[in-house]
Amino acid sequence: MNCEICQLKELDVEHFEIHEVLRCKILHTILFHRALGLVRPKDIDLELFEITYVQCGDVELERKVDEKIDQFLDRVDKHPNKKNQICLSFYEVKNKQPTWFTNKVERLYWEQWYINLNVAPHQKGHSGKSTSSKIVVDPEAEERTVRRAALEASLRDVLFQIIRFVNEKKDHIPPIPNLEGVSFPYEITISSSSDSAFGMEMFKRMLQTGHPTMLS
Amino acid sequence: MEQIITEFFAKSLHIILESRCPYVSSRNYSGEQVLSSLSPSSSSSSSSSFRPRDKWFNLALRDCPAALENIDFWRQSNLEPMIVDVILLQRPIDWDPLNFSPKTGFVSGKERHYYGSDNEEFGCEGKNERIIERWVLQYESKKNGGSTGSKKRSNCTSSHALYKKSILLLRSLYATVRLLPAYKLFRDLTSSAHIRMYNLAHRVSSFVEPFTRREEADMQRFVFTPVDTSCGRLCLSVLYRSSVVDMGSDPSTPISPQFIPEYVGSPMAEPLKRFPSGFVSQSSPSSSPFGRRHSWSYDLYRASPPSANPSPSPSPTYSDSHASLAKQRCRRLPPPSLPHHVPDETLVAYMKTPSYDEYWPSPVFSPSPSPSPPTYVPNSHISKALLRCESAPVSIPVTKLSSMPSLPNKQLMPPSPPLKATLLTAAENIAHCFMLQLLSFSKDRLHQISGARPSVNSSPSKSFSSRLSFQDDYDDGPFVVEDDEILDPSSRQTEIRLAGKVPTWSGLFELPGHPNEPGGTLFVKRSQDAAVGALVRMLNKAPPLHQDLQGSTLQTPTNSVKDTTEISEEPRVQQSSASNIVSSGLGLVTSKTTANALEELHGYRKMKDSLLKLK
Repeated sequence: MNCEICQLKELDVEHFEIHEVLRCKILHTILFHRALGLVRPKDIDLELFEITYVQCGDVELERKVDEKIDQFLDRVDKHPNKKNQICLSFYEVKNKQPTWFTNKVERLYWEQWYINLNVAPHQKGHSGKSTSSKIVVDPEAEERTVRRAALEASLRDVLFQIIRFVNEKKDHIPPIPNLEGVSFPYEITISSSSDSAFGMEMFKRMLQTGHPTMLS
Repeated sequence: MEQIITEFFAKSLHIILESRCPYVSSRNYSGEQVLSSLSPSSSSSSSSSFRPRDKWFNLALRDCPAALENIDFWRQSNLEPMIVDVILLQRPIDWDPLNFSPKTGFVSGKERHYYGSDNEEFGCEGKNERIIERWVLQYESKKNGGSTGSKKRSNCTSSHALYKKSILLLRSLYATVRLLPAYKLFRDLTSSAHIRMYNLAHRVSSFVEPFTRREEADMQRFVFTPVDTSCGRLCLSVLYRSSVVDMGSDPSTPISPQFIPEYVGSPMAEPLKRFPSGFVSQSSPSSSPFGRRHSWSYDLYRASPPSANPSPSPSPTYSDSHASLAKQRCRRLPPPSLPHHVPDETLVAYMKTPSYDEYWPSPVFSPSPSPSPPTYVPNSHISKALLRCESAPVSIPVTKLSSMPSLPNKQLMPPSPPLKATLLTAAENIAHCFMLQLLSFSKDRLHQISGARPSVNSSPSKSFSSRLSFQDDYDDGPFVVEDDEILDPSSRQTEIRLAGKVPTWSGLFELPGHPNEPGGTLFVKRSQDAAVGALVRMLNKAPPLHQDLQGSTLQTPTNSVKDTTEISEEPRVQQSSASNIVSSGLGLVTSKTTANALEELHGYRKMKDSLLKLK
């Protein structure tokens, strides 16, 4: 089974928008489409954008996602001015193959989603709540409004991109193991473009899967 | 597999309608813990009949009656395409949200219609419809020439795969419906309690006219990847307008926001609130009281307020609260569209109030007969928009003479008993209103009315009703006709007319009836008719006042002079000409101030007591 990879369109976000964007994209788009067990969909309205996304209704899932987002935010704070990436991978657990360099459990990744975010510099952020003079804020507010609208349109495009990807590629999905929540085991990894470990993580994943992931 | 296809249709329709129709989905969320009947490893996945309906495709949704209503056709034959049109209905200014009728057949859901809507497209003249989304779901079957054996096996596996892919497709559909522009309209409709200028309707059919090229050019298409089965494939696509937000987004304010001066609040909130201040501003923009009333009815019925409609809708408010009745009375006093000059307007309003008073016991509680605001306001469009009672407001002035007589008779008498309680409250309000008006009225009118008062106390009501109709006439107060006759002291017609009014009130308030007396001298000038009428009413309610208002006896402050004043009215009226009386009345009236008002108040109190006795 080959691994389908989807590189989502890069978004330029500000620091305070990261949380919502990631929740929307990760929870809504991907996991909802991969939680093929019984779900009770829950509509969530974004606060910053006029977008409604759907959650699976799984509290545990939401908690995990929020944890990962917090980790991502920490990384962004540590590595500003860099392109950051979150990778959501779905894998199958293969039988143990005790080898000397692999973990006990082998994972066969069959789908990977790369969410690319270009976080704006931190100084401009803080939701524009800076206590600077109002006169200065006004043009910035207008600029922010324009940027927000553009980001909303881009976000909507990304969501449609996910939907199209989900629609087009269905054959690679393995049989549904779980009946509740997210049916397939998954993992969320965080990396940044300039992170040297980024490539290493990919390499490790390649080794774990036992076959090149870049080839499909 | 057939069942999967069928359920797929149902589920798709459910998802679409749930997020597009504001009134179709119930809030009963069935969240039972039902295990998925689809075992991932089992080969048979088509038989899921024991699963609850809403758990199909592992997507637990709330009930959607609209979807259930419309899916029966496709249960029988899932080879027919299912086309769901989401229609944006935009209402014109004079839309009446209270008139709507649900459609049957394929068309379901609530649509709001305008008056006389019988359009096939569940629209009406003035209503703007536009299809903003068209969902097309079709199962294209292909001929399968495979053997039965292999077909069975393939069916099993394909059913499994079909089900899985159907699940994915429905998930995508569920997410997509919330990303399309129409979802925002849906959320606006359901989330806000404000009346919107638009509404969403839907239509489910198996065949529709294709869009024109121009229409299709404005729309975007999103096609879901078809789900292949062994016997065909499921195709789902949507044509949608990306600019619906601009069309449907309206401010969540009333259709025609209008500043209502001297707004006094909703009758429902303060049913017993008095509005004496409203009378003080009689000369103020006439639209204020009616505007207020209108705002009440708007609050009550959440109807789009006719913007420029000063005429209130009396019937609904009448029937709702006693206070509203009284309020309406007070409100009517300053008719908004009286063409006369200010003094006349006030008087006319006052005059008209009596007419309302007459109808008040009965028509007030019966929507239809109320002649109230329409008579004041000859704006047909306003009345149409407001009045639910279907009383032809505009026509009242026209047919006043002919139609009015019957109305008051019918309605005055029967409803009077139940109205006593209301009348008491109303009487109090009226008392206040009249007091205020009296203060502002010229004294000559009071004098005139007082003169006519005695004659009002006795007469058949029918003639009175005919006189009542005159009240509707701005130009000619109820006493315009009487002027000619009133001038004739010996005219019995005047007596009858004036007296006609009295019986109803006298019966209610136990006002002392006075023998026939020509009050012809009371109303001389056409321009004073309105005020005269109003004053007559006042006198009817405040017998003592009449006594005080008597020409030479106007100075008498005592209330007990009621009878004497009435008696004294006769000779004076008979003796002096109308003009003389007016002039003298003017002089007399001007001299009266607080004493007169106090007497009136006393009179009103007596009136109230009489009402209590009537209970």
